[in-house]
This record gives sequence, C-alpha cells and structure tokens, in this order.
Amino acid sequence: MNARYGMFIDIDRCTGCGACMVACAVENNIPPLPAATDRKGVTWIRVYRIGNGQRSAFVPVMCQHCGQNAPCVHVCPQQAVDVDPATGIVGQMPQRCLGCRYCMAACPYHARYFNWWDPVWPRGMEQTLNPDAAPRMRGVVEKCNFCQGRLHRAKESGGQFVPACVEACPAQAIEFVDLHQSPPPANSFRLLEKLGTDPKTYYHSKRDWVREIANAPGPGGAPGAGKENRRG
Amino acid sequence: MDKDLIARGVKRCSPRQFGMWLAPWVALFVFGLYSAGLCLAKGLNQTNMDNRFVFGLWIFLDLAIIALGAGAFFTAFLLYVLKVEELRAVINSAVVIGFVCYSGAVAVLLVDVGQPLRSWFTFWYPNVHSMLTEVTFCISCYLLVLAIEYLPIVLRNRRLRDVPGFLVFEHELHKLVYVLAGVGTFLSFFHQGSLGGLYGVLRGRPFAFREGLALWPSTFFLFILSAAAVGPSFILLTTWLAEKISGKRLVRRRVFDVLARISGLLLAVYVAAKALDTLVWINRTSPEAGFPAAQYYSWRPFGTWILFAEIVLFGLVPAVMLLVPRVRARTGWLVAAAAMACFGVVLNRFVMTIQTLAVPTLSFDPFLSYYPSWQEVGTFLAVIAFGVLVYSISFRYLRLFPEEREVRQISFFTTETRRHGENPKNFSVSPCLRGE
Amino acid sequence: MFPWNYGFHWTAATVIFLGAFYAVLAAVAATLLAAALRSRRDVRAHAVEEIRWQSDFDSLPARDRLCRHAITGELAGRECPNGFDCRTCETHTRLATAAVLAATRSIPAMREKPEVEIYGMNYPVDRLYHRGHTWVHPASDGTLTVGIDDLGRRLLGGADAIDFPQRGARLRANGPVFTLRRGSVRVRVLSPVDGEVVGAHFSGPAWFLKVKPLNGGFDLRHLLSGPEIKPWVAHEIERLQLALAGDAALPTLADGGIPVDDIAAACPGADWDAVCGVMFLDG
Repeated sequence: MNARYGMFIDIDRCTGCGACMVACAVENNIPPLPAATDRKGVTWIRVYRIGNGQRSAFVPVMCQHCGQNAPCVHVCPQQAVDVDPATGIVGQMPQRCLGCRYCMAACPYHARYFNWWDPVWPRGMEQTLNPDAAPRMRGVVEKCNFCQGRLHRAKESGGQFVPACVEACPAQAIEFVDLHQSPPPANSFRLLEKLGTDPKTYYHSKRDWVREIANAPGPGGAPGAGKENRRG
Repeated sequence: MDKDLIARGVKRCSPRQFGMWLAPWVALFVFGLYSAGLCLAKGLNQTNMDNRFVFGLWIFLDLAIIALGAGAFFTAFLLYVLKVEELRAVINSAVVIGFVCYSGAVAVLLVDVGQPLRSWFTFWYPNVHSMLTEVTFCISCYLLVLAIEYLPIVLRNRRLRDVPGFLVFEHELHKLVYVLAGVGTFLSFFHQGSLGGLYGVLRGRPFAFREGLALWPSTFFLFILSAAAVGPSFILLTTWLAEKISGKRLVRRRVFDVLARISGLLLAVYVAAKALDTLVWINRTSPEAGFPAAQYYSWRPFGTWILFAEIVLFGLVPAVMLLVPRVRARTGWLVAAAAMACFGVVLNRFVMTIQTLAVPTLSFDPFLSYYPSWQEVGTFLAVIAFGVLVYSISFRYLRLFPEEREVRQISFFTTETRRHGENPKNFSVSPCLRGE
Repeated sequence: MFPWNYGFHWTAATVIFLGAFYAVLAAVAATLLAAALRSRRDVRAHAVEEIRWQSDFDSLPARDRLCRHAITGELAGRECPNGFDCRTCETHTRLATAAVLAATRSIPAMREKPEVEIYGMNYPVDRLYHRGHTWVHPASDGTLTVGIDDLGRRLLGGADAIDFPQRGARLRANGPVFTLRRGSVRVRVLSPVDGEVVGAHFSGPAWFLKVKPLNGGFDLRHLLSGPEIKPWVAHEIERLQLALAGDAALPTLADGGIPVDDIAAACPGADWDAVCGVMFLDG
C-alpha cells in the first residue's frame, strides 16, 4: 500500500452542525473532560465560524497532515512524531510523548491537543469505548491521525476506509482521498500555504469572501477578522 | 559550631539574624513546593496554559534565568580561557549563580512537561534535528558541569577542608577546572543558541521564524550574544545586591568596571545584530511567509513600543551607559545600566515566548491572552526562593568572594585615610598597598 | 542514544550530535577521574599538608605574598612564586650571592647592623626566622631548636593549650608544627624546617622543640636572617595593623610604639581568629 491520504473540504457545504466533532470523539475514545474549557478541551477536529458581517460560513480544521517537512515533526525531541511515507499520515506516538508541547507551539493550525486531565469516563460509559483506539494518558499530546484504528482494520481486511468525520458529515462536506489518485479540485486552496508546510487538506469555496478570509495574508489581514470570527 | 563553618577573616551576621533572613524564603519555598506538587499530582490542568498557550510563565522565566545565568559560563571562559584575572574575584559567586539558575530551570522544566517520568526518552530516542534535543542534552550536561564546578567551592569550606581527602580533591579538581570551563563554554554556546533556535525554527510561527545562517536560524546567534552580554551584567547586579544586603564591600571597584565594559561591548554588538535581524525579518522573512510584520504589532498590548523598548530603551541605552567611562564610574548609574540590560534580555525572552504564542496564525483565529495561575506563580517562586536560599547559605559558609577579606581591610584603610587627611599617623604605608 | 534503540539512524547529524555528547561526557568523566586518582596519589604520598600550604598560600592576598627581597627593598613589589620556599628560588640564590659579594654596597637593609630589639620585641640575631613567626636556632650537636618568635608569642599571649608534635614526628617546612588554642581560636603554626622531632623542652613559660635533620643536614636558605629581620618585622607589624583595622580603631602601634605583651587581651574587639590566621599564615 502506497498512498498519500488527504482531505477535500467543501466549506460551502458545511453547516457547522458539529457531527464530525462528535463522531471523531467517539471513534477515537476522547474522554468527556467535564472541567475542560474551550481552550483546554480535546477535539481533533474543530469547526471555526467565519463571517463577513452578513453571512457566516464554517471551516472544519483538523491536522492538515503536512508534507515531509511538517513543522511538528522535526521539533519533537524524541521522535514521537513522524510522517508515514506509506500513507502520508502525520503520526503521533502518545506512548513516546513527553508532553513538552513544543510540537503544539510549532503547529500553525493549532490542530494539536494536550491531555490536561486524566481521561475518565462516567461509570458505564467505558463500555462504549472503541477497542481499535487506545486511550491516551494525561500529559501527552494527541491529534487527528485519519482514524488510525480504521486504517489498521482496512489493512487487515484489505478493504477501504474513511475516517469517522467523513462518514458522519450529513452534508458530505468532507471527502477522504488518496491524492495519488484524485488530484485536488480546481479552485481549491490550502490553509497558510505560504508557510511552505505543504498540507494535504484542501479547502474549497465558491464564495469570494470566504476564500478571502481563509486566505487572508495572516491574522487580522481581513478587516475585523479577529473580532468577528469565533471558534466553533 | 556555626562560627567554625564561616571562613576566617570575614564577618557574618549572627545565626539568629541569618535564620530570620532565611525564614520568609523557606516559607516561600515550601509554598512553591506545594504548588509544584499540585501540578505534578493533579496534572497541568492546575496551570492556566492551554492548547494555544502551550508555553507560559515557566518557559519564559526559564529562558530568562538561563540567559541571566550565562554569567557563569562566560565569566569562567573569560577567566580561565582568556585570562581576565580580575574576574577571579567573582568566579565563585558566578558559579553558584549559574548553578542556582540552571538547577531551578531544569526543575521547572520537569514540572512543565506532561510526563516528567519520561524525561529520559529524550536521551534514549533523541531526534538530533530538534532544537529541544540540543537544549535538553546541553542543559543537563552543563548542570552536571556546574555541579562539579560548585563542588570545590563547597569543599573549600573551613571545616570540610580539615578532611584531608576533601582538601586534596578540591585542590586537584581546581587544577583541572579549565577543562570544565572549556566544556561549559562549549555546552553553553550550544544551549543558549538552541534556546533561540527553538523559536527561530518555528516555520509555522512567522512571528518567531528567522532565516538561517549555516545550520541555525539567526535567533541562535542572537541568543548566544545576548546571554553573553547580559551574563556579566547580572553578575555585577547580584554582587552589588549581595554587598547591599550584607552591608559589606565584597570586590574591588575595578571588578565592576571590567564586568560593565565587557557587558556593554557585547550588548552593543548584540543590539546592532538584533536591529539588523529585525530589519531583515520585517522586510523579507515575514512577508515571504505571507505575514506583513505590521500585523504583529496591531494586537494590544503588543504595540511597536515593545520593539522600541527591547532594542533601544533596554538595549542601546544601557549599552551606551556601560560603555561611557563617566557614567560607569558612578555606582548608581552602573547598577541601573546593568539592571536595564538584564531587563532588556528578559523582555526579549518574553517577546519570543509569549508574543509568539499570542499572535494567531490562522486568519480566522482570535488573539488570545493568558495569565498564569497561582500554582504557576508559586512554582516559580519556589525557584526564586531556592536560589536565594542556596546563594545565602553559600555566601555565609563558602568563600564566594575571595577578595572579601582583603577588601575589608582596604576599605577600612581608605576611609581612615580620608578621615585623617593625607597620611594617618597610625599607619605607615607600604609600597604594595598604594594603588589599590 | 545507541544504535540498537528504536528510531536510531546512522546519519551524519546523529553521528556528530551523539559524538559531541559522548565527547563531553568523556571529558567530564576524565576530569573527575583524573582529580580522584591524583588525590589518591597525593594522600598516599603524604602530600596533604604540602597541598594545604600551597592552597593557603595561593589564597593569600598579593601583599601577603611579598618576596623577602621586596620587603628589604632590593626588589620592587615582587610576589613570591614559590610558597615562601626560597630553597628552589633562582632569584633568591642570585640575590643572596650578590648580597654577600656587595655587603657594603648601598642596599639599605644590608648596610644596617642587625638589632636584637626591634620595636621593643626581642629578635636575637643568632636565630633564623620563618615567615610564619617561628625561629630556628642551630645547636652545636647538629640539631635545631624551633620556637615561636616574640611577635607570635605576643599575638597568642597565654595560649590555653598547645599541641606539640610527638617524638619522632616528621616535620615539613610550611607544614604544621604546633597547634595553639586560646578560647575558640585555633591556629596552626607552620614548621620552619624539614626534620624529625627529637623532643620538646619547657623552661618556665617558654617552650621549644628539638629537631634533627632527616638526612644529612638542614637546608635553611629559606629562613630570614641578619639584616632582613628588621624590615620583615616592620612589614609584619603593618600587616597586623591592617588585620586589626578591619574591626575597630584600636590602641594600635603609634610610631615607635611597642606591641603590648598580650595583644589579644589589649584588643578585645578584634576578630582574633582572623588576625591569628593572617599573622601565622594559616588559611
């Protein structure tokens, strides 16, 4: 198997319902963390709301799975992050992570999450845990890995797979692709392309203002962007 | 008992007074240990750091005290390698300051990582391309070197010296100290640099990202330069503080002058390099990454004032003050300039840590602020208290300032001379005393 | 860290990085090991006291390391590089020879006649003096008598206790010979010569040691004698004044004054421990 997995996300289709976030949390055994705030919680995929004053749009952002020179890979002091050459997936090994959070500082997409608490599930809820995904302990970093559990299943059975968010999206806004086979659609763009991170997540929107905000030359490049936009 | 431990010929306060000085620091230390204990036992949720502000007070202050602690390596380098003999008067103090700074920084780092018990992973599975690996290796090695450099100072204690094994080991180790000074310089050079490189390589953070010279980004060299510049200033400042608090002259004025000149010279070079680097970054590096530099300064409170404060007010101004002999000659100005230089470098570490993380990268992401929690502040206060305790105890029982005894007599002599006019009748001046 | 660890790659960066790391560790370990081995060697060679003196001497302020020829005015401000052991000093050999040849020339100290009484203290000229305030008197039977000089006696006044070396103990020049105690003050007095203790003698309040040479005879070139004594005592009184000055304005030695018999009792405010340390060259 030699693939280059990536995602196409159609911003115009996203309704901001958050089903992807829920599906992701369930699939990957993300604990409920009742004490967590918006800034300390764990959600491998986050839906941002952007607006131009009249209209709103929603941008799901997960790990963008940058190219070989992913900013998080070379900063990790103990090789807990790597880019799998066979799949192009940027992998995180929580078992080896020290929790220094340098990779989080390095990530321009803020797509990495730290376990500020011990993972605890309410009584009985541990029954619902996914046996294909190992829960992570307190003090390590985790992030979207394109549903590694599903990938392993697919490898074993020789079949195909899609990550949970793709499966859950009622508007089919997210498409999981092998970039070797499906080149990115025209008019698509990637976030912060100028940084040279070469991400494998492509966004698409027909609306000019959405593209303008998403591609704004840096933060605050779009007028009032900082005030207007909130996180999903 | 207590008196037997104090070096011959120096005056120290009574054990009771000393105890009263230590008591508040011990209290602070205990409170800090409790805070750190909470963070270790309950996890980093005790802090106000979050997924965006992954580094906070701890990393900023670690960087700051490591920069200030650079006085240890730089003084050792100047003394043992470049043979600036005046600095022998402060070398022991510098080693203790360095030891305190580095051990404190390493302790805080151990609280700061999510899984302290996995710290050895970095040594076992090192990613040699990571700046943090370089930092981890060099800081832990250098702490070892500092501990070994500290050892002879401890063994020189009046009572410990009575043990023949200690006496001889101290003597033999001190003869080899130049090896340690050399190794320490090598290690310091790399970890001070890598701490700068830590931010300079963050391609995803255009505020911090800098272009490289050879293998390393420019911040690598700027951090080395700024640490070397501010190290002597910090030694000057702590020596002055020790003099004020103990109420004694500890070194000759000439030592202050040498420290100030070295610090001023390096600071001037640093300011020039930093200004050049900032210009390159504003005009080329940042725009090429898609981020006009003006944006970074549109987020209150991080206006352009911070750039001005860092480079001019607390960079150029103290550099000039330290370099002008007339300003340097007055202790008040000298100390003010040294304090400003230290503050400037601390501000630089603040900007590199906190502003880097506060400025958003995604165009639709908000600007975030962060205030440390009391547990974070407490943990850091423990380090400060630890430093004061170690330094105070060392100051009392070890010879941190070898010239102290001599200076005490000289200062008495000069005040007497002043009182009595030209030649006090009770003194006949021997030729070797003039010119001190 | 090691090639067998998971994730290890034989790349240039790894080799350079880990090579530097191991080199640093090796350098640090070698330093420690060398220091430890040399320490063991020193302890076995009974060099501890020699090292103690070396280290004490090195930590003396520059003005206390003044060469004897600087004290007499023959040389300007020379610091002794040999730990007050002139036996190996070329400068001393040269100057001593020159002094003998030109005894009548205009070196001020050399022209003066030696005095027995210096500043009211007793410094007999038939004795040789060590910088640590002991004297040596050669006896006709080839042994030496070793005692404490008059300034030293006045400094210590009536010592509460004196530890003498045992019969047969081997002395080394600049190693310890007596330990004197007075109250909480404990001072080691340095031995002026190399030798073996044959006995201690007491005559009233005075006491001294008898020492016989270790092999052959004594080499006493490092001791002060004749016209050197007076400038040296003057220098010592200056040092004493400075040492006392740190603490209190004292009934010090005005010009022509005589140190009182028991200086310690006369200066109760002084840090006597420190003063004795300075005067007896005991770190």
